[in-house]
Amino acid sequence: MSGYRLESGGRIDRSQRVEFRFDRKTYQGFIGDTLASALLANSVTLFGRSFKYHRPRGVMAAGSEEPNALVSVDRGPGRFTPNLRATGVEIYDGLNAFSQNRWPSLKTDFGAINDRLGMFLPAGFYNKTFMWPRSFWDRVYEPAIRKMAGLGDAPTQEDPDTYAATYAHCDLLIVGAGPAGIDAALEAMGTNKRIVLIDEQDELGGGALADPALWPWLERSLRALVEAPNVTILIRTTAFGYYHDNFIGVVQRLTDHLPEIAHGPREKLWRIRAGEVILAQGAIERPLVFDGNDTPGVMLSSAAKVFANRYGVAVGKSVALMAAHDSGWHDVFALAKAGVGIAAIVDVRSNVDTVLLVEAERLGINVHIYHSVIGVNGRHCVKAIKITGDKTIACDALLMAGGWTPSVHLWSHSKGSLKWRDDLGAYVPDQPNENVGCVGACSGNWDFGKGAIIDALPTPKDQSRIKAFVDFQNDVTAKDIKLAVREGFRSIEHIKRYTTNGMATDQGKTSNLNGLQIASAALAKPVPDIGLTSFRPPYTPQTFGALAGHAKGALFQPTRTTNIDGWAQENGAVFELVAQWRRARYFPRNGEDMHAAVNRECVAVRSSLGIFDASTLGKIEVVGPDAAEFLNRMYTNPWKALEPGRCRYGLLLKEDGFITDDGVSARLAPDRFHLTTTTGGAARVLNMMEDYLQTEWPDLNVWLTSTTEHYAVIALQGPNARKVLEPLVEGLDLSAEAFPHMAIREGTICGIPARLFRVSFTGELGFEINVPTAYGRALWQRLMAEGAHYDITPYGTEAMHVLRAEKGFIIVGQDTDGTVTPFDAGLDWAVGKKKLDFVGKRSLARPDIVAAGRKQLVGLLPDDPNVVLEEGAQIVADPNQPIPMTMIGHVTSSYWSETLGRSIALALVAGGQGMMGDTLHIPMPGKTHRAKVSGMLFYDPEGARLHV
Amino acid sequence: MSDVLTRHEPIPTTPFVAAGVTISLAAPMNRYSVRAHSAQAVETVLNLKVPKKIGATEGSIACLGPDEWLFRAEASAAMPTGAGLPVAITDISERSICMIVEGPRASEVLMSGCPLDLDQFAVGRATRTIYETVEIIIIRDAENRFQVEVWRSFSAWLWTALTTAANH
Repeated sequence: MSGYRLESGGRIDRSQRVEFRFDRKTYQGFIGDTLASALLANSVTLFGRSFKYHRPRGVMAAGSEEPNALVSVDRGPGRFTPNLRATGVEIYDGLNAFSQNRWPSLKTDFGAINDRLGMFLPAGFYNKTFMWPRSFWDRVYEPAIRKMAGLGDAPTQEDPDTYAATYAHCDLLIVGAGPAGIDAALEAMGTNKRIVLIDEQDELGGGALADPALWPWLERSLRALVEAPNVTILIRTTAFGYYHDNFIGVVQRLTDHLPEIAHGPREKLWRIRAGEVILAQGAIERPLVFDGNDTPGVMLSSAAKVFANRYGVAVGKSVALMAAHDSGWHDVFALAKAGVGIAAIVDVRSNVDTVLLVEAERLGINVHIYHSVIGVNGRHCVKAIKITGDKTIACDALLMAGGWTPSVHLWSHSKGSLKWRDDLGAYVPDQPNENVGCVGACSGNWDFGKGAIIDALPTPKDQSRIKAFVDFQNDVTAKDIKLAVREGFRSIEHIKRYTTNGMATDQGKTSNLNGLQIASAALAKPVPDIGLTSFRPPYTPQTFGALAGHAKGALFQPTRTTNIDGWAQENGAVFELVAQWRRARYFPRNGEDMHAAVNRECVAVRSSLGIFDASTLGKIEVVGPDAAEFLNRMYTNPWKALEPGRCRYGLLLKEDGFITDDGVSARLAPDRFHLTTTTGGAARVLNMMEDYLQTEWPDLNVWLTSTTEHYAVIALQGPNARKVLEPLVEGLDLSAEAFPHMAIREGTICGIPARLFRVSFTGELGFEINVPTAYGRALWQRLMAEGAHYDITPYGTEAMHVLRAEKGFIIVGQDTDGTVTPFDAGLDWAVGKKKLDFVGKRSLARPDIVAAGRKQLVGLLPDDPNVVLEEGAQIVADPNQPIPMTMIGHVTSSYWSETLGRSIALALVAGGQGMMGDTLHIPMPGKTHRAKVSGMLFYDPEGARLHV
Repeated sequence: MSDVLTRHEPIPTTPFVAAGVTISLAAPMNRYSVRAHSAQAVETVLNLKVPKKIGATEGSIACLGPDEWLFRAEASAAMPTGAGLPVAITDISERSICMIVEGPRASEVLMSGCPLDLDQFAVGRATRTIYETVEIIIIRDAENRFQVEVWRSFSAWLWTALTTAANH
């Protein structure tokens, strides 16, 4: 093929020349060109190498159905996009594009050896061949096959671009702005409907862009639409998926066509909810199946017309047509009119409309009726074609006119049904499943003329020796499909998966119907009996960036922070994420490591005073006359008798009897409770309680309100806590007599209303001060100032964990795993034996729950006090048992306790509560450690330090 | 001893201004979640007229659900506790902050992440909804003015999201 720029014509701006590069060579084109049209104008025929056989490939289409001409575009670091269709890449000054799947170069590609070996690489070849040895799967076969087969390289750097996203609502969404879509918009324009008209190309018009006779109409129509206040027009915009209830996923490409890297977002995701949808997606011309139909220079006849009339590019100096459909004849006449030389028209049909024959004769075109192309000369470009009757016709491009396939992709996403039309040889939309209609060619309503429906062109050659491509992108040939049928595949869904026909990134836009017809012929069954494969989003490939939209970098997901977080940050805290919360883990001083910092923080709490940000604890206010009744039903222990002003530890089970959450809660008034939950459990517990309230006990007069974020919570823990707090509170007696352990008082601190809990998760004298969140940081700073005298020490979650473990307080989710009952956890005391019912009670009597030998939570004291066991380490009774050993449990929590001067651990051990004092073994890397089973209360077992 | 503690807000107190939209932090206010099985029970305890339809507002009271009202008042206003009555009044003043999104592009900016059809969301309406994954309450004060209530810990994220969308 020797394409060239026509003297005139096309919609390109011939006054604006641009320079671009393809495979490092510089070319020129015009504004308005695609990479495909500009390269064709420069006589380039070779665009890429095929997926499996590495065969040379050119451009086959002019639109988004292009299967062959996939390129990569490099816009600088991180801006490398592979697998773009050259027919959709708009050129600009400096565009830097590359061909793909070739090495060392496009013209000399070593991978092309696969083409010679083609007869040894039939459908299912990889499945059949690379079965054994199994050890080769991961390390040999997979990497080698991946390297040979494939598309462009995946980008390796982080994408520096930003992406926008939005929701949008409209009464009418029109997908496709060809003549049918534009007519639909013009018709609806006069109503008060909100209309959105979208098209994937850089200008509206669709097929009309290749028909100069329609341009005046197009211009008038567009002016009217642009002026209409109720019409939103989106170009370079693809509706990629059609979801339930007329929810359409749409990506708008904003900057990829611009020469400069823009500051704004690269693409925008539109999530559109439409009252009504009109699909005007048009139809795609079907290639013909014959030997050599993938030679560069063999293309769809409609594409040649688009290149000539829209881009002013002749695809060759002497162009031949292989037709099974009238539309090809019209395309060739249009080419002739544009000044393109025509070598011949070959038509497989025995009868062709006389009007066409007369016109061909008038134009002096050689016509070969009832003939078919049986071979193509040339490897990197067409040099001649062979037709039946052993004739050779010299030409430099061959057009295929195989009829038309309506684009029913989005229609099928919406689960609309299809019906087969024999006259079109295609499926067309039948019954809708949403408020959606199809207009124009995608509904089968077209004026392209008549055609013959054939599976493959007749040929005298041995069918098993030729490569007649069906799926160009996945390199599937007609004989692959026939082989699948011979091997017993009957359904097109199975044939598709076996041969990979239609499974490439183009989703079989040009191959599905041909594949179906070949299978139909091979099975001697009508097409509708073989079925149709599913269409799935996306209609065309989309970037991950567009789908992620806002959710990138700082906006990936919210990081929740407390009011005191800023102070922690300024004071060098090391953070950890707990659920979505960012929490201070420890506060290193002077280059301390975590170990040293945590030791210091723990000792400070035990010896004087620590301060801890507990704001993230879940809080639920339970209010109403039936509040106590409700909690009594939810928690394992009794709540009705709890006095206002007092707190109680609450244990929450699921129906299955396993612990799901815990926390200390307070009764503020007869009808008002302040519940606390774990940080991670806050939303889950509220949901669970709401669920019971709304579905089981809607008669109760009680309501739940999350107050987690209304309060900042500061835990002041240590023997000097009271001394620091006393001068700051107003009207509250903090003495042990007036305000005992597990009590709550309401008052003010520094003039701010506060709920003061006397509770302790450390085993020391402790207060948890709840103040309205906005004052959290200011109060924290006041307490830091007041506490300086006692060397007040901020501590993080890590020290908190150590301190609680020294006291044997469990952490739900760490020491429990959703299979631990209160009895397993040694929390028998928290279960109301006399209670008639509570959530999970019935399950606690199940045979396997009361059976002996369940895993129970116990303490572990390593024989070597300097060994800190690994959390998660398995526990065995007999260290000499051969592998696989019997694992009787695992370590759930393990720390170095600076206070105790030794290591401690909690563990779940089968029958552990009956093993006190026994020695167990914990195999860890390098050594198996010994530890003695103990109670979980490692420090101050009498609780003397609490009640001061 | 009494001392004045200062408030600390999670988002900038200086308004964000972009073409066609301003986003600013509303002044602190008292907020109460008021729950009851009927609007009448709420009216009895508050001695105020309350909206009966979900999504409607009446003065500073919005009906958010079949048994839920959001009552917002100036920071100094007193509030009954409803003790002993079949109602639940809970102080949630500092649970959320309120962003005012104002200007001709206000609804466009909100719809960048909120799936509501704001064209159909009349002035005076209030609803609980989401912006991407974050729960918010939107109250439309005027054609081009919305109040967006968001829990404090999510507000910095929402501020970044809205200002980013406004800059796009």
